[in-house]
Amino acid sequence: MLTNTTEMKDLYYPLMSDIIKVEQLTATEKRFEIALPDNQVLNHKPGQFVEVSLFGFGEAPISISSSPTKTPAFDLTVRRTGKLTDKMHELAVGSKLGIRGPFGNGFDVDFMKGKDMLFIAGGIGLAPLKSLIDYTIDKRKDFGRIIIVYGTKHPSEILFSNEIEKWKNLKDVEFHMTVDRPDDNWKGNIGVITTLIPPLEINVENTIASIVGPPIMYKFVLMSLNSKRIPDENIYMSLERRMKCGVGKCGHCQINHSYVCQDGPVYHYPKAKELEEAV
Amino acid sequence: MPCYYDLMLYSHCGTKIVKQASNTMWGFLMSKEFNSKLTDLKRYFFNESDVRKFIDFLMTKAEVIAPQTKGEQSFAYNVVKNSSDVALEYPRTMQPLKKYFLPPVETLLTFKMSSNEFSEEVIEAKKQIFFGIHSYEMKGIHLLDYCLGKGKPESNYLKRRANALIIGISYKPDKYHFATSLGIDIEETEGFALFFEKVTEGYLVFVVTDEGAELIKDFSGGKPIDEQVNIEELPQQAKIKYHYNRLPQVFEHVYNSRVWDHFADKCVGCGTCNLLCPTCYCFDVRDEVGLNADDGKRQRFWDGCMLNSFAEVAGGENFRNKLAARMRHRLYRKFSYITKSSGELHCVGCGRCTRYCPADISIVEIINSLIEDYSAQQKKQAV
Ligand SMILES: Cc1cc2nc3c(=O)[nH]c(=O)nc-3n(C[C@H](O)[C@H](O)[C@H](O)COP(=O)(O)OP(=O)(O)OC[C@H]3O[C@@H](n4cnc5c(N)ncnc54)[C@H](O)[C@@H]3O)c2cc1C
Ligand code: SF4
Ligand code: SF4
Ligand code: FES
Repeated sequence: MLTNTTEMKDLYYPLMSDIIKVEQLTATEKRFEIALPDNQVLNHKPGQFVEVSLFGFGEAPISISSSPTKTPAFDLTVRRTGKLTDKMHELAVGSKLGIRGPFGNGFDVDFMKGKDMLFIAGGIGLAPLKSLIDYTIDKRKDFGRIIIVYGTKHPSEILFSNEIEKWKNLKDVEFHMTVDRPDDNWKGNIGVITTLIPPLEINVENTIASIVGPPIMYKFVLMSLNSKRIPDENIYMSLERRMKCGVGKCGHCQINHSYVCQDGPVYHYPKAKELEEAV
Repeated sequence: MPCYYDLMLYSHCGTKIVKQASNTMWGFLMSKEFNSKLTDLKRYFFNESDVRKFIDFLMTKAEVIAPQTKGEQSFAYNVVKNSSDVALEYPRTMQPLKKYFLPPVETLLTFKMSSNEFSEEVIEAKKQIFFGIHSYEMKGIHLLDYCLGKGKPESNYLKRRANALIIGISYKPDKYHFATSLGIDIEETEGFALFFEKVTEGYLVFVVTDEGAELIKDFSGGKPIDEQVNIEELPQQAKIKYHYNRLPQVFEHVYNSRVWDHFADKCVGCGTCNLLCPTCYCFDVRDEVGLNADDGKRQRFWDGCMLNSFAEVAGGENFRNKLAARMRHRLYRKFSYITKSSGELHCVGCGRCTRYCPADISIVEIINSLIEDYSAQQKKQAV
């Protein structure tokens, strides 16, 4: 099974770690670079998450947004939406936070080897997906084409602008993006993310689509992938549910019989289809 | 043999009939060996005063917890101060026994916000004796052992369990019990060290485990007896229409049944059925900070999937916002989801969810309605 940095201690025992870098990405999102104590390595897979905690403010599941190829520190990208995440946004370099994990299954990168990779990210869904995007770019020879499709509501919500510039300039990465509502300076595509899918020219049999976005997005993206005749077997998606423990006990994350914190958050589409509550 | 006690009902020789059920694809549900062959066990006769004396004796060994009456018709497990307070005959306690192993509120860590220091709560290893426990309750504990022990084990729970010695007692079913419908006989002894069976003038005390034998050995009251006894089965009034090994099959076909809406119409979503269920174990985790705004605790609280916010996430999305979907989830957790890995039904037929539901929703009625729905579907297909 997966390495769990806190395995030797109790299930709920966080590892006190350091924030070594903070970067404001948008008005509501920040990226935190985290170093575990004693130079420990998280040993995560792309798509896994950690439980982040601040004493007095609770715990929350947050995806690891950097690739395991980047060590020893790792990145978390956090939107401020409540008790814990608001407090996190007040923290500066040198502050401590608790980490448990990594949890969940992550993407099946071995299965994806040699395939063309189609990434479809909506909004903050780019954060978890970035761990896999970075991984494929770092191991460029192991993968076929890399196609990134990214949609946000508004240009002010664009995450990772620096990386996006880099992706745009890489000859072997194809980057497409759109916003629902433009501002005065926006020169790119306008419209929902699904408008970017039909024009893509892809070899459907050899393409793996990985989707992460808000709950509402999945239905529509799946419909347009289906009309492009991408087989269900070639689709992976990461699902978000309420979580409390991350270890398969508290019950909050359950989708039918499946525990998202254990069997997910990444689901192979044929498996997700069997779960009536999934999408 | 002198007849110093009345074995009227039990006077003729014979053994309890071990029920056999036909095997289906869910036959593994049946595979648990019926190990309540009371007739093979060493036994004693206790009159009621022996029983009280035995409780006093137990209290010299460890803390004893037993059902006690809490006003009219209401029973609760509590630490015994006086053996005379112990209720020997009771239908069920309101709160299940799980509260001793998975407390309603439990501190996971204590911390200091200013320094980020924290420590784990130490669970003291203290022996506890639970006296007067019914078989469905014991089964509920076994099911929790499975759920909390598998995968990443819950060490706090397991530590408390390891220190528990449990003594069973028979019960007279009321209109809410349906444990036998789920294959849990009143005299099922698995998990008990000793088992007390009510007979006309007292109790037959069966020695189930070596630990039980060790315990009773030093007790001076009671009388060993030898002859075979035949325990008559007390019928339960609430009944499920199908044999329990067919229930997982039924649940394969009723996900979209109208039955859910029908019962959810009456439900007020209070979560009582979760909190009082001996096999529910879902929890919430919250940090509580003290008045000095520095010292605090990370605590876990019982939670329930019937409560509206259970599956709600930041941003307001609620993945099970309809009561019917929540009720279905609760029942599927009892009869299908966990069953797929444990091979057991995760309802024990204690009847608490029905007895204490403010909307008078009966789980037996829900199950029987689902069975009707399933059987109508089967008939339609056969045509
Ligand atoms: C697998 C997974 C990965 C995630 N990755 C990220 C990420 O990379 N970046 C990011 O900004 N957000 C992510 N989220 C969402 C994030 O967990 C929530 O925004 C966060 O829990 C909100 O906590 P809060 O205390 O600030 O908000 P509050 O609304 O005050 O939360 C109250 C409580 O509800 C629970 N809760 C609320 N929303 C969620 C939720 N969506 N998921 C789980 N529990 C919730 C929390 O446990 C919290 O204790 C992820 C969620 C999941 C399940
Ligand atoms: S106890 Fe009754 S009313 Fe309350 S949530 Fe359960 S079924 Fe609904
Ligand atoms: S579902 Fe109801 S009858 Fe079944 S074990 Fe739980 S409380 Fe008892
Ligand atoms: S988060 Fe607790 S069971 Fe998955």
